[in-house]
Amino acid sequence: MLELGRHTFADDATLMMAIVNRTPDSFYDKGATWAEDAAFERVAAVVEQGAEIVDIGGIKAAPGEEIGPAEEKARVVDFVARVREAYPDLAISVDTWRAEVGDAVCAAGADLLNDAWGGADPDLVDVAAAHGAAIVCTHTGGVTPRTRPFRIEYDDVVAAAIADTVAYAERALAAGVARESIVIDPAHDFGKHTFHSLELTRRLGEMVDTGWPVLVSLSNKDFVGEALGLPVGERLTGTLATTAICAWAGARIYRVHEVVETRQVVDMVATIAGRRPPQRAIRGLQ
Amino acid sequence: MRIVLVPGVPALLPSYASIEDPVADLRAACHHAVAELGPRVRVLASSPLGERVARHLLGAAGAEESEADPTGALVVANGSAKRTVKAPGHLDERAEAFDDDLRRALVQPLPAGLAGIDVDLAAELWADVGAMPALAELLTPGTTAEVDYDDAPYGVQYWVIRWS
Repeated sequence: MLELGRHTFADDATLMMAIVNRTPDSFYDKGATWAEDAAFERVAAVVEQGAEIVDIGGIKAAPGEEIGPAEEKARVVDFVARVREAYPDLAISVDTWRAEVGDAVCAAGADLLNDAWGGADPDLVDVAAAHGAAIVCTHTGGVTPRTRPFRIEYDDVVAAAIADTVAYAERALAAGVARESIVIDPAHDFGKHTFHSLELTRRLGEMVDTGWPVLVSLSNKDFVGEALGLPVGERLTGTLATTAICAWAGARIYRVHEVVETRQVVDMVATIAGRRPPQRAIRGLQ
Repeated sequence: MRIVLVPGVPALLPSYASIEDPVADLRAACHHAVAELGPRVRVLASSPLGERVARHLLGAAGAEESEADPTGALVVANGSAKRTVKAPGHLDERAEAFDDDLRRALVQPLPAGLAGIDVDLAAELWADVGAMPALAELLTPGTTAEVDYDDAPYGVQYWVIRWS
C-alpha cells in the first residue's frame, strides 16, 4: 500500500504525477501556466488525462531570480487550496525544499512534499510527519538548491543515490512519517551530469530492490537532450524511451509533462512484464 | 443427469484474462450453467484446450472432473468460426446454415442429428463438434434444453445450453 496523504494506492499501481508550474520561467513550459487560471486549467487537463497526482511548483529548479519563502507561498498555498477544493480525489504534491512552505501547503490540503533538493531543509520531514503527508526523498549529492552540477564525481553514482535516499527515507521514518508514505527518487540531472543520469537509468532496478517505492523525474531533461543532441521541445521520444526502461525496472511514480503518452508507455511495459493484464485481448482467443 | 454445453473459448481461461472482459456475458452464462452440474462431472471435449476450459469452469464451481458416478456432464463444443469476414476463419457462406442445423439438433434435441453430423463440413467451417456424438448418447428421450447463451460476438458461434 502506498499512502499519499488522504489517498491510498495498491502496491502494483503505477502513478502519473503531472507537473504544474506556478513559475514564470520553468525550462519546458516557459511560464505557460504562470497565471493562476492557466495553472488551474493545466490541472483540469491533466486530471482529464488520468493523472493521479499533480506536482505544483513555485520555483524553477535552475538558477535564477531569488524567490524567498513568502513569494513561494504566495505562488502555491492558495492555489493548492483551490485545487484541493475542486478535485478531492486528486493527490496533490508540492515541489518545495522549504519546511515553512511545506507546512503552509499541507495546511492548505497538500498530500505529498516533493523535496527535489534532497533534504536541504532538515525540518521538512517533521512537517510531513506532523501533517500525515508523504515525502519524496531525492538524491542530489548534497548540492545547494538551485545550483547546476559542475565537475561532480561519484565512486558509484547508483550506490550514492541508494545510500542517500535510503538514509533520507529512514530519517523521515524516524521523524514519524508513515512507512507507506515515503518514496525515493534518484533525481536524474540533479547533482549529476548526463553520464550519471544514464547510469542511474540503466541500473534503476538496484534502487527498486531497496523496497522503497521509486519515483522518476525524466521528462524532457538535459540528459535526454544531450543523449540525442536535441533541444527542449524535441525530447519526448527520448523521454518515453527512458520511461520504458524505468518502467521495466519497476519505477512506481512518473513525474511528467506528457501524461497520456507516459501512461501508454508505462502500461505497455507493465503488460509486457506481466504485471498488468492487457486491456482487452480476444484476437486468436475466440 | 444434468448436461451442459459450453464453447471452448480460450478467453475464458484465467491465464488469458484482460482488464475489460471481452466475453463477460458468455462467462456469466457458463458459470451459471456449470454450477448446476453437481460435484462430479464427466468432461466431453475434443481438444486439450477444450479440456482446460472445462476444468477451469468446474474448478470455479467447486466441482471436479470424474468418470465415476458422475452427477453431470460438461460438453465443450461450438459452431462455425467462419461466420463473418472478420471471423478467425473469414466468411464461409455455408456457416450460418450449418449452425442453424446444429442449433436445431441441440435445442430440440435431435440425438440422431448430432450423432450423424457432417464432420468434414464441420472441419471446413472450423466448428468444434468432436464431442457431439458423445453428447448424442447422453440425450435420452424426454430431455429438454434451456438455452442460456446463443450468439457469435467474434464470428464464432457459441451456445451455452442446459439439458435436464
